[in-house]
Amino acid sequence: MMWPGHRFALAFFGGVLVVWAGTMTFLMHRSALPPEATGTMLAVFQPSTSADKAFATIVAAGGNVVRKSSFDFIWVVTSERPGLAGRLHENGALGAYRELPISPTIAGCFALADAKVEEAFQ
Amino acid sequence: MTTQAAPSTTPWYFQPSTIIVTGCLIAIINFGVRSTFGQFTLPISEAHQWHRETYSLAIALQNLLWGIATPVAGALADRYGSARVLMVGALFYAIGVAVMNYAGSPLMLNVGGGILAGIGIAMSSFSIVMAALGRLVPPEKRSWAFGIATASGSMGQFVFSPIAGGLISAYDWHISLLVMAASTLIIIPLALPLLIQNTSTSKVEAGETTLTMRQALGEAFGHRSYLLLVAGFFVCGFQLAFVTVHLPPYLAQHGISKEFAGWAMALIGLFNVVGSYTSGIIGGRGEKRVPLSLIYILRSVAVTAFILLPITQTSTMVFTATLGFLWLSTVPLTMGLVTVMFGTRYMATLYGFAFLSHQIGSFLGVWLGGKLFDMFGTYDPVWWMGVALGLFAALINLPIRETRAPGFAAA
Repeated sequence: MMWPGHRFALAFFGGVLVVWAGTMTFLMHRSALPPEATGTMLAVFQPSTSADKAFATIVAAGGNVVRKSSFDFIWVVTSERPGLAGRLHENGALGAYRELPISPTIAGCFALADAKVEEAFQ
Repeated sequence: MTTQAAPSTTPWYFQPSTIIVTGCLIAIINFGVRSTFGQFTLPISEAHQWHRETYSLAIALQNLLWGIATPVAGALADRYGSARVLMVGALFYAIGVAVMNYAGSPLMLNVGGGILAGIGIAMSSFSIVMAALGRLVPPEKRSWAFGIATASGSMGQFVFSPIAGGLISAYDWHISLLVMAASTLIIIPLALPLLIQNTSTSKVEAGETTLTMRQALGEAFGHRSYLLLVAGFFVCGFQLAFVTVHLPPYLAQHGISKEFAGWAMALIGLFNVVGSYTSGIIGGRGEKRVPLSLIYILRSVAVTAFILLPITQTSTMVFTATLGFLWLSTVPLTMGLVTVMFGTRYMATLYGFAFLSHQIGSFLGVWLGGKLFDMFGTYDPVWWMGVALGLFAALINLPIRETRAPGFAAA
């Protein structure tokens, strides 16, 4: 029998990532806030967006910056005027979210949901 | 005159590619689903007005059961074949996760998320898959197969956690947990191709030991090299569990934001895939004890550099990427050494005992991390303990003899 090799492994992991990316795109779309939503939210732009461009978009949408995340394309914004989510989207943001659905975590061989660890971030 | 190769009579579902793909998908699902449990800490605790310790206890119980049940699952796989054990394990896993969803009391949560899920994870884990692959693939491909299976487990934790988070955001935690439960059931059809490796009816393979299970365990635990390997794997568990649980708060102490810490931890998952696969390739090219020792040394070097240098975003990324590369890369080499010393007949059982040692190390890494932090107000003592243990593991892996153990030698 012929056993597969490195190319096979690359194709396999590539395939898994493609399916994953499709699933995540769907879930990101589903979890975006409706256009009429307002209040404090996360504005997410394309990853290539500069901080200046994102800031200008937020201002144009009538939002106030609460803070920038560690990434130039994710900002915490707020507004009291209804429809901030819709205006952000119209001005070029990918979407607005209450919290980012992607929360990367790892689980080693002993993933313990330790209350003390959670408290450290409070 | 030309000769034509006879067409293969092996059905597609028993073809090598199918076996590797299904085995790897099982590893992805098994490791992936369990990596999502942290996402449910808050929603489940808030929905039931429970303290977070309640949920933590169930997950701690699950990890403990996983460790204890792994040698038993391995013994069952060695006796009845991996496919059957994977199928039963998937059922336990699915029921356990579903019970978590409907648990109305801490007791039910402990039974579902702790006991049933813990047993299910052990019985459907990638070590059971690796045991099947170890028997099916030719010796020269065995280490590669261990590598790709381990890398798949790593990939699982990288891809599943955001999916569970996305499902919680898009729908709610009930739906997310039920999808996770349903995902584990996919392991059942995926295990079907592994039925080709059916140890329950086959005779002892040529070159394999004729010892009974009890005799084999007695011989293994009297074999110095196996004991050294098991002791080294304890250190692996200690280091990884400490980093998994205590690195994020350590980073927070040094002014690294929670979201950056999250992405830095994700780097571990990503580089883990590359490291595990590479380790499988290296293990197939020569001695396994030397790269295994090197992994422990490099972990110690990486930790030393990380805690001595100023903690910045850059140093954090470099550290997590390095550690990710060295994360589960011990697994293909450890499994490989078990196979070299004892053959494939009892490999799942004997790897299972090594993994139990790993889990005891994990428990101590998590517990001591918290305990010593409470005592000294800093994680430094445990970091240094990890460095020292890493050097110890490197030293004790070097004298391992990469030959068949007495009693397991091919006739």
